[in-house]
Amino acid sequence: MTLSVAAFWCLAIVLVGSALAVVLTKNLFHSVLWLALALTGTAGLFLTLDAEFLAAVQLLLYAGGVITIVVFAIVVTERLVAERITQSSRRIGAGALLAATLLAALLRIITRASVTEVRPAMTDDTTFRMGETLLTRHAMSLELLAVLLLASLIGAIYFARPED
Amino acid sequence: MGLQGYLVLAAVVFCIGLFGVITRRNTVGILLGIELMLNAVNINLVAFSRFHGEIAGMVFTLFTISVTVAEVALGLALVILLFRTRRTILADHIDWLKG
Amino acid sequence: MTDATLHFVATLVLPIVAFLLLALVPPLRRRGRLAGVVSLGFSVIGLGTTWVGWLHSGLDYEPIRLLVSWLPSYRRPLASVGVLIDPASTTMLLLVALVSCLVQAYSLGYLREEPGPSLGRYYAYQSLFAFSMMGLVLAPNLLQLFICWELVGLCSYLLIGFWYQKPEAARAAVKAFWTTKAGDVGLLIGIVLLWRHAGTLELVDLRQMAESGALAPAGLALITFCIYLGAAGKSAQFPFHIWLPDAMEGPTPVSALIHAATMVTAGVYLLFRTEWLFALTPGVLSLVGWVGAGTALMAAVLACVQNDIKKVLAYSTVSQLGFMMTAIGAGFAGAGFFHLLTHGIFKALLFLGAGAVIHAVGTNDIFKMGGLARRMPQTATVFIIGTLSLAGIPAFAGFLSKDEILAAVWAGGLTAPFVMLVVAAFLTAFYMFRVVFLTFFGAPADHHGEAHAHDGPVIMSGPLWILAVLSMVIGVYFTLHHPAPEFAPAAHRGGLPETPGWLTPLAIIVASSGIVLSWLTYGRRAISADALAAAFGPIRHAALARFWIDDAIAGVYRGGLLSGSRVIGWVDRYIVDGLLNVISAWVVVAGDRLRLVQTGRVQDYMYSVALGLLALVIWMGWSR
Repeated sequence: MTLSVAAFWCLAIVLVGSALAVVLTKNLFHSVLWLALALTGTAGLFLTLDAEFLAAVQLLLYAGGVITIVVFAIVVTERLVAERITQSSRRIGAGALLAATLLAALLRIITRASVTEVRPAMTDDTTFRMGETLLTRHAMSLELLAVLLLASLIGAIYFARPED
Repeated sequence: MGLQGYLVLAAVVFCIGLFGVITRRNTVGILLGIELMLNAVNINLVAFSRFHGEIAGMVFTLFTISVTVAEVALGLALVILLFRTRRTILADHIDWLKG
Repeated sequence: MTDATLHFVATLVLPIVAFLLLALVPPLRRRGRLAGVVSLGFSVIGLGTTWVGWLHSGLDYEPIRLLVSWLPSYRRPLASVGVLIDPASTTMLLLVALVSCLVQAYSLGYLREEPGPSLGRYYAYQSLFAFSMMGLVLAPNLLQLFICWELVGLCSYLLIGFWYQKPEAARAAVKAFWTTKAGDVGLLIGIVLLWRHAGTLELVDLRQMAESGALAPAGLALITFCIYLGAAGKSAQFPFHIWLPDAMEGPTPVSALIHAATMVTAGVYLLFRTEWLFALTPGVLSLVGWVGAGTALMAAVLACVQNDIKKVLAYSTVSQLGFMMTAIGAGFAGAGFFHLLTHGIFKALLFLGAGAVIHAVGTNDIFKMGGLARRMPQTATVFIIGTLSLAGIPAFAGFLSKDEILAAVWAGGLTAPFVMLVVAAFLTAFYMFRVVFLTFFGAPADHHGEAHAHDGPVIMSGPLWILAVLSMVIGVYFTLHHPAPEFAPAAHRGGLPETPGWLTPLAIIVASSGIVLSWLTYGRRAISADALAAAFGPIRHAALARFWIDDAIAGVYRGGLLSGSRVIGWVDRYIVDGLLNVISAWVVVAGDRLRLVQTGRVQDYMYSVALGLLALVIWMGWSR
């Protein structure tokens, strides 16, 4: 068992476990915390895949930004209700069945597909290559992304403005 | 660890996220499930990118992360708005577009 | 001959001008008598031009055509109208103009009590009819002939139903229209088939093609049969004869014009005009002959049991048309045409005379009349002249033409029809003199009516005398002077038939015995009419029921058509509508059920999306 394999298995267990916890915990606030753990696990996986930049971005944006937002949203909405909202749903059985079947089908496809087992050697580090591509080939997409973020910012402000 | 491992992992997380989306009653809880699904997608993208030597996959992942953040922001704004006007955040109560 | 051509064109144009004047100038039309005078004036002028033109032209010349291109086209016009002037058409035109003029004059007296606007309407119709009939007579091609044919039918409808407030009149008009229309459909089909067969509808060209053998014989029988259908409809051949007796609901001058001299003769005229075509299909010709003879005999029998004076004359017309058709069927259309001309004159005379009687006495029933000869001597005289002509007594108009027909039928080899015609001739004399004796002689049945009887005013008796004199003049002329083949078309193979020596005496004996029997029964009362009736009991019974032909046709119509419609209606209501109703109900129910899918909840939609995704993944996975 090499280090990379062991790392992968650890991170996989953490990720899957925390994902299960996210969807199964009754307390919403706890769910959010478990989500934070899951996102961190994902960042770790990115590291094993030599995507350091993405791991950093994941931690910054996801585990940092998204979790914060969700926590605030929960605080705002639950506070005024002043009670814990139960999380049980009436579709658990059907949903579980559906998810399980989908998983089975996906696994069947994946295991039958012929995919490479070996990683190709890295010529440059990925961050360098990413930066280069971002500013040359996918420069337009980058600009559009900026526009998108601006639009969503304006939209969010508009939606959440105080009632006049 | 080969590509298949990463793909299997991503598939598992995706299905868990889907389960969460379908079964959670709280709207915010649904959003959490969506987060999981998007994460799984990102893992897939990065894995493919690494194992095929194409950097475009990782660039795309960057984009999806950014879009997801924007989407969460807006989604939560909507939830807050919904809460303010209709005083509920339970997905089952939001059925005014019923046919 | 060009100025004579213009005369005939003028004759054709004058009535339509009169009609347009009356139709488009309501103040003129509403003043009834003025409208009548205007129409009559145009008619008189038209008669004058025709007469002058006819005298100019003589009786033996090549046909002259005057065409106006109506639908111009690439090489030659698709349709043209105009006039075709040859001896037959000008003679017929003269008859039409004469009778039309006399009838219009007579109507001024007969319809004296008619309100102004109504009378104006009558004269408008009369002018339109004159125009249509003349257009038909002068038609250079079958297209114009058909158009005028239909117009004539329309005018007949309008004039029969002139007193449209009377339900019987309205029904009779519709019956006439429908029955002739059934024949007209045949005519139209025949014309279209002929056009397809020959490529042209011009009579002159078609004649050349027929006589030179350029027409392929295949399919020609169908064409001539269809054309014959049209003629049978208008000329009241069996089984289309049912409309003519009912058409007596119209004013008597109308009956004199349309149902004696002009419209009903259009069928005979058509067959006469196209005899070179029918000569190529002897099978159809023999059918024409047989049906004609049968019609003649049947109508003669029916006339014997009628009480209404006009109905007797109507059946008599049907019978005489049958005579003409039989002659055509025997191959001697000229004989039929000759009888057409003489019959037109004396039948119009008889109708107008009957009109005078009806006008004076107030009833149509001959059993309510009697002894009118004393009160109405002029009318009696002219009526008897007409009757003698119809019976076929020498020195009167009908004698020679009827003789020619019998000769033609004999020469054509149709023996059984010949016998039928002889019997019909006997019956003709019998029933016409029955009318004469019951109406003008004997004791008056109804004193009240008889007391008011008197001869009509000059405007009514004038035309009567003109026709009577004409009848006698023609009769005398042709008794002394056998008609030249001018009544046969120029290159006709048969000309007029040769009369076997025994035929003329036979005809005279038959006619005379009919008159004698009638005199004995109704004049002298030596033979009881009832005994005579009893002797022919079953025939008489059938005749009184009009041989149940009307009932049969009505039964077929009501039974067949209406029950067919009922079936179709049921199918439409329950199957077609039912199907649609079921489908729409299903759609509504399905919509109602399906809307339950739209719960409005996001998670349910997400569930559906996931289901779809699952299906997609499975499909992708299994199709490898």
